[in-house]
Amino acid sequence: MANRHDLEPEILLVGIGNSGRSDDGLGWAFLDRIQEEAAFDGQVEYRYQLQVEDAALISAVKHVIFVDSYSGELPDGFQLARCEPLRERPFTTHVLPPGVVLSLCRDLYGRAPRADTLLIQGTCWDLGIGMSPAAERRLENALRFFESHWRGIR
Amino acid sequence: MSNTSRKIIIDPVTRVEGHGRVTVQLDEQGKVGDARFHIVEFRGFERFIQGHPYWEASLLVQRLCGICPVSHHLAAAKAIDQVYGVDPKDLHPTATKIRRLLHYAQVFQSHALHFFYLASPDLLFGLNAPVEKRFIGAVALEHEDLARKGIQMRQFGQELIKALAGKKIHGICAIPGGVHKTFYPEERDYFLDGSGKPSVDTMIEWSREIVDFIKAYHDKNFKWLDSFASYPSGHLGLVAGDGALELYDGRMRAIDSGGEITLNDVHGDNYLKYFGEGVEKWSYMKFPFLRQLGRQEGWNRVGPLARLNVCERISTPLADAELREFKAYTNGRPNHHTMHSHWARLIELLHCAELMRELLNDPGILDDVDRAKVNRRPEGIGIIEAPRGTLIHHYQVDEKGSITKCNLIVSTTQNNEAMNRAVQWVAQNVLDQQQEITEGMLNQVEVAIRAFDPCLSCATHAMGKMPLQLTVFDAAGKVVAEYAKGST
Repeated sequence: MANRHDLEPEILLVGIGNSGRSDDGLGWAFLDRIQEEAAFDGQVEYRYQLQVEDAALISAVKHVIFVDSYSGELPDGFQLARCEPLRERPFTTHVLPPGVVLSLCRDLYGRAPRADTLLIQGTCWDLGIGMSPAAERRLENALRFFESHWRGIR
Repeated sequence: MSNTSRKIIIDPVTRVEGHGRVTVQLDEQGKVGDARFHIVEFRGFERFIQGHPYWEASLLVQRLCGICPVSHHLAAAKAIDQVYGVDPKDLHPTATKIRRLLHYAQVFQSHALHFFYLASPDLLFGLNAPVEKRFIGAVALEHEDLARKGIQMRQFGQELIKALAGKKIHGICAIPGGVHKTFYPEERDYFLDGSGKPSVDTMIEWSREIVDFIKAYHDKNFKWLDSFASYPSGHLGLVAGDGALELYDGRMRAIDSGGEITLNDVHGDNYLKYFGEGVEKWSYMKFPFLRQLGRQEGWNRVGPLARLNVCERISTPLADAELREFKAYTNGRPNHHTMHSHWARLIELLHCAELMRELLNDPGILDDVDRAKVNRRPEGIGIIEAPRGTLIHHYQVDEKGSITKCNLIVSTTQNNEAMNRAVQWVAQNVLDQQQEITEGMLNQVEVAIRAFDPCLSCATHAMGKMPLQLTVFDAAGKVVAEYAKGST
């Protein structure tokens, strides 16, 4: 008899950011909270930035969601959007966009998982631990949305 | 061509992680007047570490870098060991083995990143290749096997770091007088048996392959590899008591451009006696030099090329055989070919793979570690060979254990003058008197810097926020061209 995990989609959450830079820690905070609340029991990875070897990481899963802070305006304070492979030359391999990692994965391993980005709007990027009140509210909204979304896809 | 003098600014330098800037001043005839490599970020670690308890140093200063934090962690730990009252010889043998294994994993993954991710596009596609080819993604498309192996080699090093320090980046391994955790058999076996991932034996095999690759590449391309940014210099690195290459704990040796010893295997505790640091108003980065030779003559290269120049042998057999071949190419004389840094780097990659296998197979690395007893001292100095070169950490603490003074001489700083000379070489030999400065020419400036260092410093940015750009403008301040992240 298959256990529960065998029946679940192989989904990976990658939180991107830095909790020492205020709202830049939104990606990590999202992962912390979703595990604390037992709302997600798949694989999670924390990253300061995406790097080339993350192509190998995501090649082993069916579905990856990159969770990151966003410095622009988002109508609901957060946004879940499909991530497509991006064949562009990034400015530096130190900070790779998710689409470039997806493209690398496809080129190197012959396949790429379904990928989405969950962006959460931040406003404060100063050195310091702890997020702005606005970012905290958007994080809550993003969590509630994702819990509902996760129930729908599992 | 304009009849006024022009200044070309490459800002930032791409595929050199962090923020550097290059300026080339041309006169009315298009002849190079001056060329400089500027470091324009100010980090301030030496200042803000003051007041923190000494045991925090190795945790905090590793935040200088996301590529080689282990080097800063261990250099600081060696210095703080002395503050704690423990000399290297008194550290528990297993603690030393664990720290060494961590260090070799760090150098291995960093060298893999440097060569495969950042430098290999220059070699595989040429100096004037289109911009879109100068990226590991293009290597993945056209040299899939090379790219996959490079990625897996970096992964191997990073996963070993995670097993020893808890995290791939900014983990904790060393504590004053010991290590944070011991190494478990199941953790060790993961890297030996090859069941879950390529084993350390595979890392050695692939390292040999890539050394063969660079030698074959050199055979076909020696004209430019032997000439590009080549210039005589001194060389500095750590050596063991028998003159062997030493990456973790050795004596400082320097040679001049002719191979004469200028610093004879001195202990790091005396570094201030031997080294001074010059300052220029156009760069935040200092210019270290040997006091006895002065600011103009006493600068040295550091890093793989320098280390292979100063050492007499390598302790592991495969890398030692490669060293002999490497030295034979210049008839045992110092090798000043800047692009041979990549060749030297790959020999060190092989050396680290051999060292990792030695330590992973050493039963003593699984022993429990007794932490040394504290016997506080007011000062500690730690010196290590980071991937890019000799790294010095120096701390002074007060009677309460708070850090009162910190001096860091990082590898990039040691190479400051050398990188400036390399930039000047390109300016004089590539940009000089050109009617048009092409993008390919500008890339050659970066190729020269990249041979030394792909890592100037790092910062974290959220999506949509990357304030770096490249600007070209004339002497009147008019912008001629502008490049931003992701553009060509």
